[in-house]
Amino acid sequence: MADSTDKWSRVAALRPARLVAHRAPRLGAPEESDFLAQLIGAGIGKNQYGEHLSARNWFPSPEFSEASPVALALLSHGREEALSRRTRSALEDPSRWLFLDTETTGLAGGTGTYAFLVGIAWWDAGGLQVEQFFMRDFSEEHSLLHQLSSHIAQRPVLITFNGKSFDWPLLENRFTLTRAIPVPRLAAHLDLLHPARALWKLRLGSVRLVELERQVLDAPRIGWHREDDVEAALIPQLYFDYLRGGPAEPLAGVVRHNQMDLRGLAALFGKISTLLANGQPRPETPEEALDLFSLSRFLHRRGERVRAQAACEQALASGLPAAFRPPASRELAILAMRQKDYARAATLWEDLIAHPEDVLRACEQLAIHYEHRVRDAARAADYTRLGLKKLRLLRARPENVFAAGRLTRLENKFQRRLVRLEHRMKNESDAVAAPLLRHPSDAPSTRTISRRL
Amino acid sequence: MSHSLAVRRAAGSALAARLSELLDSFAADDTSGHYWGDYSDEIFTAVRHFPAREAEWADVPSWVHADLAAAYAGKGIRQLYTHQAAAAEAVHAGKNVVVVTPTASGKTLCYNLPVLNAILENADARALYLFPTKALAQDQLAELHDLCRRLADRFGVFTYDGDTPSDARKAIRQQGHIVLTNPDMLHTGILPHHTRWTRLFENLRYIVLDELHSYRGVFGSHLANVLRRLRRIARFYGREPQFICCSATIANPGDLASRLIEAEVEVVSSNGAPAAEKTFAFYNPPVVNRALGIRRSYINESSRVAQEFLKRNLQTIVFANSRLHTELLLTYLKQANPHSPAQPETIRGYRGGYLPGERREIERGLREGRIRGVVSTSALELGIDVGSLDAAVLAGYPGTIASTWQRAGRAGRRTGGSCAVLVASSSPLDQFIVRHPDYFFGNSPEHAFIQPDNLEILVNHLKCAAFELPIRPDERFGEIDLAEACARLAEAGYLHHAGGHWHWTHEAYPADTISLRSVSSDNFVIIDITGETQVIGEVDFPSALATVHPKAIYLHEGQQYHVEKLDFQERKAYVKQVDVDYYTDAVRYTQVRVLEIADEAQASESVASRPALRAHGDVLVRSQVVGFKKIKFFTNENVGAGKLELPENEMHTTAYWITLERPLLESMPFSISERQSGMFGLLHALESIATLLLMCDARDLGTAIGERPPSAQANAQSDVVVATNFDSATPRETREFFEPNLYLYDAYPGGIGFSEPLFRAHDLLVRQTRDLIAACSCEQGCPSCVGPTGDLVPRAKEAALAILDRLVS
Repeated sequence: MADSTDKWSRVAALRPARLVAHRAPRLGAPEESDFLAQLIGAGIGKNQYGEHLSARNWFPSPEFSEASPVALALLSHGREEALSRRTRSALEDPSRWLFLDTETTGLAGGTGTYAFLVGIAWWDAGGLQVEQFFMRDFSEEHSLLHQLSSHIAQRPVLITFNGKSFDWPLLENRFTLTRAIPVPRLAAHLDLLHPARALWKLRLGSVRLVELERQVLDAPRIGWHREDDVEAALIPQLYFDYLRGGPAEPLAGVVRHNQMDLRGLAALFGKISTLLANGQPRPETPEEALDLFSLSRFLHRRGERVRAQAACEQALASGLPAAFRPPASRELAILAMRQKDYARAATLWEDLIAHPEDVLRACEQLAIHYEHRVRDAARAADYTRLGLKKLRLLRARPENVFAAGRLTRLENKFQRRLVRLEHRMKNESDAVAAPLLRHPSDAPSTRTISRRL
Repeated sequence: MSHSLAVRRAAGSALAARLSELLDSFAADDTSGHYWGDYSDEIFTAVRHFPAREAEWADVPSWVHADLAAAYAGKGIRQLYTHQAAAAEAVHAGKNVVVVTPTASGKTLCYNLPVLNAILENADARALYLFPTKALAQDQLAELHDLCRRLADRFGVFTYDGDTPSDARKAIRQQGHIVLTNPDMLHTGILPHHTRWTRLFENLRYIVLDELHSYRGVFGSHLANVLRRLRRIARFYGREPQFICCSATIANPGDLASRLIEAEVEVVSSNGAPAAEKTFAFYNPPVVNRALGIRRSYINESSRVAQEFLKRNLQTIVFANSRLHTELLLTYLKQANPHSPAQPETIRGYRGGYLPGERREIERGLREGRIRGVVSTSALELGIDVGSLDAAVLAGYPGTIASTWQRAGRAGRRTGGSCAVLVASSSPLDQFIVRHPDYFFGNSPEHAFIQPDNLEILVNHLKCAAFELPIRPDERFGEIDLAEACARLAEAGYLHHAGGHWHWTHEAYPADTISLRSVSSDNFVIIDITGETQVIGEVDFPSALATVHPKAIYLHEGQQYHVEKLDFQERKAYVKQVDVDYYTDAVRYTQVRVLEIADEAQASESVASRPALRAHGDVLVRSQVVGFKKIKFFTNENVGAGKLELPENEMHTTAYWITLERPLLESMPFSISERQSGMFGLLHALESIATLLLMCDARDLGTAIGERPPSAQANAQSDVVVATNFDSATPRETREFFEPNLYLYDAYPGGIGFSEPLFRAHDLLVRQTRDLIAACSCEQGCPSCVGPTGDLVPRAKEAALAILDRLVS
C-alpha cells in the first residue's frame, strides 16, 4: 500500500479526463513551431497585446450577391420593432457586412470555453475575402481579440449561423474577461439559423449548414466539396492535443472546415436574401412547392400577410405533397381571416372538416362565422353540434387523456354556444310564430328565407 | 435538579398553571387506564418556564438614510433592538459580522438595513443574499418587496434560482440590486457565467449568508470553496465584498463564519429582542417493557399531546421528522377532529411535496386562525410566516438544539404565552436529550465544523475555479500547494499551462457534475421498477453499499423500497415499492489502519497508571458489507438476517480513537466476551453523543474496534488492525483484542473535519456518554443506550459503564 501515502493518488477528481491520453512529443525546434502557419499559409499577426496566427484567403465563390432592403428588413427585425434609420443604413451597405464563425474548446458555454479560431469574411472584388485568426496558445487570446475587434469596428453588421445564441455571446464573454478590450458594438446582427429552419426544416428535417449546402445551395454542382472534413464534435480535443504538443495537421483541417463554413454561410445568405426579395419562381416539383409553403409561413410570421397568402395559394395550386395540404389550407384560412376575406376562409375551413387535426378548430371557426357574420343560427348550431360530437370522440381516445383539461374547456365553450344558439332559434321561431296568427299567409315564406340565409 | 410537579407549578404564571393542569389531565387521561402520576418525573422529564422578556432598545443610527428610516417607521419600526443596532454599526464600520439570533428576533433587519442604506447612497451598489434553500429565499422576497414599495421602487430585488424563467434572467443580471439565491445556483448558474453578471460583481458590496449554522459538514465544506471562488471572481472585478451572516445559536458561530469566509468576523450575540412567556416540556413516553427498554410509540403519544391542545382550542403545530410520520400524525388528528362536510378542514398537513398554491393557502389559514392544527415536516421550521400559534408539539428530537428551538419558536413568536412539548422517541439522541435537560437548556454545546481543505472537495472546486478564470501563479486556494495541484490537474488533462497561467482545457462544464451535498460525484442511481421505470434518487458511493445492497429496505420520502438488484459496474440499484414493518441494517466488516497520528494524549488525566490513550489522525478504512439484519420498526427487534457478497471499499479519512490499555481491561471483573460486548456498547453510545456535539447525522460517522498496532509511533503503517462491528458470522468470543482501539471516523473520503474536534472534546464526550448509559432505565442495555439487547451479552451495559468510569474518574 505504498501508493496510499501519496495523497494525490486517492483523489477521484484527479482521474484522467479521457481514457486514451493522446500525447505526441512536443515539437521542439523553433522552425517547426510555425509548421501550422506554413500548413495553412498564415502569417504572424502582431499588436500591442502580442501575437497570433492570421491567414487571409480570397475565394471567387460564392459570388457577391446584393440583398434587397425588403430581404434585409425581413431578416433583421423581430415581429414588432421597426428598424432605426442608423441600423438600416448600416444594414443596407454591403461593405459593412461581416460573416463570422468560430471554432471553440466546447459547446457548453460559460467562461471556461475559448474560441481558439475566429473566422471572418466579407465581400471583396466580387468574391469572398476570408480572414482567420488562430491562437497557438491561450496567451495569444488578447492579441486575437484585439484584431477581431478592429475588423468589427469597420464592418459592424454581423452575419452568422447560430451565432446569436452561441458564437457571439461566447465572444462577448471572451472580451469581458480581458478587462482591457471592450466588447465591440454591433450595428446589427443577422442570424440565419432561424430563417433557414423556417424555410427548409419541413423538407430537410435537419438544417445543419452542411446539409443546406448540399440540398439547398447545390454544392456539388458549383464544385464545392468538403472532402476530409473534420467532424465538428472532435474539434475541441484536436485543439487540446495540439496544445500539448500534438500534431499540427488536424488543426489545418479545422482551419479548412472553418473556411468552408464561412463560404457556406455567405452563399446561404445570398440564397435566402434572393428568396425573400423575389419569392420563389413558380414551383415545378413537389419539393419546390413545399419550399414555397415554408416561405409563406416565414412571411406570415414576419407580418407579410399579402405575400404570405399569395405564396401559400401558389404552393397549394402547384402540387404541394398531400401531407402538407391540410396545414397549408389552415395557414391560408388564418391568413384569409386576417385579411378579412371571410368567405374564402369559410370555404377553406369547410374543406378542413375532413381532417381530424383541424376539425375542432374548423367547426369553431365556422360556427362563429355563421353565428356572427352570416347570422344563420341554425347552421351555426349544426357546426357546433358536429364539433361537440367530434370532441367527444376525441376525448374517448386514451392518448388524449393529458389534453383532458383543454378538451373540457373547449367542450364548455361549444356547449355555451349551442345553448345560446338554440335560445336564439327558439326566440326567432316564436317571433315568427307570433305574427303567424295574425298573418297566416306570410309565415312560410319568412321561415324559408331565414333558413336560407 | 428536581422536577417535582409541585415545585414547577409554583414558579409559573397563569399560562404555566394552565399547562400543568393540561399535563396532569394528560397523565390521568391515559387510554390504558394506568395512572402515571408516580412516574410523572420519568414521563415529564423537564418543564421549564420562561418568563416574558422586555425588549432592549437602541436608536436608529444617525447615518441611516432618512428615506430608509422613514420606510421602516412606516412599518412601525422607529427604534432598533440592541443587537440590530450593534450589527448595523459593525457593518457600517466595514467589518464582517455574524449575528447570532434566536427565532423571531428581527434578524432580517440586521442585514437589510445596512444593505439598503448602501444602495440608497449609491444606486450602483449590489448585494448577494444566500439562503440554504429556494423556499427561504422566496420568503425573504416578500419582506424586501414591501420595503421596495415604501422606498418608491428605488432598488430592484429578485430571486435567481432554478425556477427563474430564462427571459427574466437578463433583466435580473442588469437591474437586481439585491439578488437572492442559494449555494447550488451560485455554484452552477452564476459563477461559471460571471461575465453575464459584470454589473453585479463590479459593484458587489455585501454578501449575506443566512442560516449560517446549516452550512456544516459536507455542505459547509463545499460552501467554503464556493465562497473562495466567489471572492476570487469579485477580486477580478476589483471588489472585496463584506459578509453579513446570521446564525441560530450554536457554540462556535464566529469560528464557523471565519472558516467559511476566510476572514475575521465580529460576533454580535447579545439579543435585545423581546420574548413572550413560554413553557417548554420534555415528554418521554412511558416504558411498556422495562427489560427490553421498549416505550410507547412516540408518534401515538405526540398525537395525544397535540389532541389535548386542540381540545382546549389552542392553535397547534406538530412537527414530525419524516414525511411518513407527517402523514400518520395527520391521519390520527383528522380522525380525532372530524369536521362537518360543509366546513373546510381545520387540521392540515404541510410538507415539501405540496403545491405552492396549496402551501400559501395553508399559511394564510394559519395566520387567520381558520386552521386550528397543522402537521409539518421541517418545511415550516424556518422563516415562513404563519403568525403566532399557541402550542408546538415536536414528535421526536429534530437532531439539533438549534432546530429544536426553531420549531418550538413557531409557537408564540412575539406576544402571548405559548407552550412547546418535545416527545422523545427511543433513539439514543432523544433519550439523552430528555434525560439531560441541562444539556439542552444550558449554553449551546453544539459545534458546526467544516473541512474546506478536504482534498477531494477542494480539487473539484479548483476545477470550477480554473473554468471561471485562469489560475494565476501568485494565487492561493485553501491550504494546498496550488502549483502542485494544478500540475496534477494538467497531467490528468484538465488544465494547460500557458503564459504563466493555468487554463481550463476540457469540453465539460465542471460545476455540472459536482454536487454540494456529497464529497465525490461517484454516485449510485436508484431506479424504481415498480411500475414505469423511473429514477427516484442517488446515493453517494461510500453509503451505497450499506443502504442499497441487495434485499435492503431503502427509504425514500417515507416510502419503503426493496432493493431487487445492485449493478455495481453500472452504479445502479433497482428497487420496488413495498410495505413492510421492518428496516434493514447492513452488517459491515470494517478494518481501520492508522496511517499517521496527528496528536495523542492521555485519555484520562487523573490516573497515574495510564489506563487509556486518545488520539486523532489519518486512517485507512476498508469495509465490506457482509450481510444485513432485518429490524422491526418501533421495537427495534431483530427479525431476520442475510448474507451478502459485495466488493470491498477502501477509504482514506480521518479518525479519533481511544486506546484501552491492557492493565485497565484486565483489572475489571468481567469475562472477555463481556468486556468485548461492553466496548461495542460503549462505542454505540459514544457515536450517539458525538453526533449531538457535531450536529451531524449518524451516517456522517463510522465506528470500528481494532487492535492497537504494537508500536503506533514506530511503525504505524506496518500492521493491519482488524475491526468489525457485530455480525453473527463471526462469534465475538473468538476474537479478543489485546489492546483495542475504539474508532470514530469521518464517513467521507478525506475526512470532513470531525476528528480533531472530537479529540479536543474528549472529556465532554466521555462524560456525557457515561451519563447517557447511566441514566438509561433499561436493565441490560437497550437501543437507547448501548444498543439492542439481542446483540449484547447480559453484562454489556455494566461493562461499558465500568470502562467509562475509569476513563472519567
